[in-house]
Amino acid sequence: MRNIFVVFKREYLTRVKNKTFIIMTFLAPLLMVGFYAATIYIATETGEDNRTKTVYLTDYNPSLMLSNNPLANYVFLPAPSSEDSAIADVKSGAVFGWLKVEDLDTRAIDSATYYTSETPSLVEMEGLKEWIKGKANKHQFAKMGLRESQIDSAQASCDILTKEVSNSGDVQESSSTLKSGIGFALAFMIYIFIFVYGSMVMRSAMEEKTNRIVEVIVSSVKPFHLMMGKIFGVAAVGLTQFLAWIVLAVGLVMGISAMFLNSGGGMSTQEAVQKGIEARTGMATVGAMGGDGVQVAASGSQGARDLAAEFTEPLSNLPYVEIIAVFLLFFVGGYLLYSSIFAAIGSAVNQESDVQQFMMPVTLPLVFGFVIAQTVALKAPHGAMAKLFSMIPLTSPIVMVVRAPFGVPLSELALSFGLLVLMFVVMVWLSSRIYRIGILSYGKKPTWKDLWKWLR
Amino acid sequence: MSSVIEAIDVCKTFGEQRVSKNISLKVAEGSIYGLLGPNGAGKTTLIRMLSTITQPDSGSILFCGESLKETHAHQMGYMPEERGLYKKMTVAEQLLFFAELRGLSTRDAQAAVKHWLKRLEMMDWARKKVEEISKGMAQKVQFVSCVLHSPKLLILDEPFSGFDPVNADLIKDLILELKAGGTSVIFSTHRMDNVESLCDHLAIIHQGEKVLDGSVSDIRRNHFTGLFEVGFHSEVDWSVNGVVPHSVAHHSDGKVIYRFQTNEGFSTADLLSAAVAKGGLVHYSEHIPSIHEIFVETVSKGGAAIAL
Repeated sequence: MRNIFVVFKREYLTRVKNKTFIIMTFLAPLLMVGFYAATIYIATETGEDNRTKTVYLTDYNPSLMLSNNPLANYVFLPAPSSEDSAIADVKSGAVFGWLKVEDLDTRAIDSATYYTSETPSLVEMEGLKEWIKGKANKHQFAKMGLRESQIDSAQASCDILTKEVSNSGDVQESSSTLKSGIGFALAFMIYIFIFVYGSMVMRSAMEEKTNRIVEVIVSSVKPFHLMMGKIFGVAAVGLTQFLAWIVLAVGLVMGISAMFLNSGGGMSTQEAVQKGIEARTGMATVGAMGGDGVQVAASGSQGARDLAAEFTEPLSNLPYVEIIAVFLLFFVGGYLLYSSIFAAIGSAVNQESDVQQFMMPVTLPLVFGFVIAQTVALKAPHGAMAKLFSMIPLTSPIVMVVRAPFGVPLSELALSFGLLVLMFVVMVWLSSRIYRIGILSYGKKPTWKDLWKWLR
Repeated sequence: MSSVIEAIDVCKTFGEQRVSKNISLKVAEGSIYGLLGPNGAGKTTLIRMLSTITQPDSGSILFCGESLKETHAHQMGYMPEERGLYKKMTVAEQLLFFAELRGLSTRDAQAAVKHWLKRLEMMDWARKKVEEISKGMAQKVQFVSCVLHSPKLLILDEPFSGFDPVNADLIKDLILELKAGGTSVIFSTHRMDNVESLCDHLAIIHQGEKVLDGSVSDIRRNHFTGLFEVGFHSEVDWSVNGVVPHSVAHHSDGKVIYRFQTNEGFSTADLLSAAVAKGGLVHYSEHIPSIHEIFVETVSKGGAAIAL
């Protein structure tokens, strides 16, 4: 046991004292924030096509189409009577395009044509479709004898407030969006961390082997103890980094909110949130413009404010203790399971380039778990598939964390974690058998057959 | 004299290959034991079993009379043939790590590191990372890393390979110094240069078997075949009782050495009187074979035997 500690101490201290580690600990959150800020900026500021497009419109019902509320960024001109000259103008670039709408009477409009010199984007096509659809709706209503103002006032919108009834009978406001977001973010973190720290263990084992230092070490430490010291040492490095980030994040959030409170900048934060939401729901926004551009845009900014308010209560109602506990337990469990496999791989190979063939099958379940987390678990966190994959130890660290904010029965958590620990013990035993022989085997690249032989 | 480590009928097989075949050996306390053998003879396999890294398939190993256990590793120092250090750690950190692995408390480890760094005049290098020091310096660190905990038994696999001549001599001196302090040493080598001056006892391993074992002087004495050397200032035409020389060697200074096998029908007295009668005699001695000659002879004989 003492030797595990000596190895642990070395692994931990040499990594934590490393300049790269210190720099990355401070830089990584900034990079992450910068990355998202850049994405949002690009999506909002430059991602959309903001050119003003002059487009000929051949119109079935000119009074309706060209009346009020034109589509944003579009200037519609009545098309010339000759088809050839319209196409010639599109070709010469005199106009951006030519939109021909010949029918607004049927419910499925199939006689609209759009001529352009460049292939329009999906977003642009959706926008045009929604706009025409909106106009068609109005055309149909008008035929029924409704006035435009009547139609506008009859437009309904809907929001569902979720209230969860707990076992104890408490009723609390909750938000599926919020829970999905948090679950997914945590799953993503586990996914990335298992990769980052798992491969750290692998490289460490490989370094000792290729450095030829390992033979000296195993003359005084059992290979199993060496492997465990290494795995725990790197885990402690990961937890240290987590802790540093939590401290940094809390400090940063407190600092920023203090700054905004002082300068009365609260509104600008909200505006930023709104922009972000608009960027993500860009398609829907463009679509909605067709129905009634101005009104939707106005209600959009109102909506963002509502959205912020909508999250405040559910945020305070989240089962934080459970989420954090599940996250930590499954993060540590998942890391230990995978890093023991990574350690075995590191001990088996002689050089970095040989790693690939063994990495593939190992990372596959991890990637699969992440895909399940993104699809099944987010759509139906209590469904059979989500339950199944949150039980299988190789995928459970990721899938269970996604389910955690939605509330998972304690019995399921216990079973899943128990299976994870069991699998870890089995895997450590198997890995240590490979490790013990792998570290002293040089020469040719090992094959799966060799590994199997070492196992026995 | 009691033995520090003893192997009894040790066997090890890798797959189909028998790498150690019933090897027995005994290392006396405070002695230096040389394991000789060509490359691939099974020296490293034997050494790994002695240093608790691997276990024999059959047979037993005793450390100071007790069955060899992992805890005995704390009383051993081991320097493998293929060796390395952590490049990113400083010399002092590295040595401290090895000392603690060998069971020293942090305080004792620190004291030992300081002692050895001073002893080798390396205090100025203590805070340098291994990647920043010269190769020769790293070799010294390597050696120190296995003697920090004052082991009872020092096991060195090809200790002189990869070391520059200056460091090889330094290591040799340190080995003798440790021996004087009561440490027993086993080392393997396939080079004979250092064996005679260093070893008290040696064994030759060939194709997984021990083919020869004994004290260095006994082995050389036992391999004396009755060959004598007689040297003259210049070439002479002679024979002893009609027997012509076994071989002739011309030295660069003009001296000529004749070798006679004394058990071929004449005695040493006959040889000496015949030599004196010729005049110009400058050299007369027994030819005791060197360990190198014995090694080559033994290994080539062993090879032939196996080939049959």
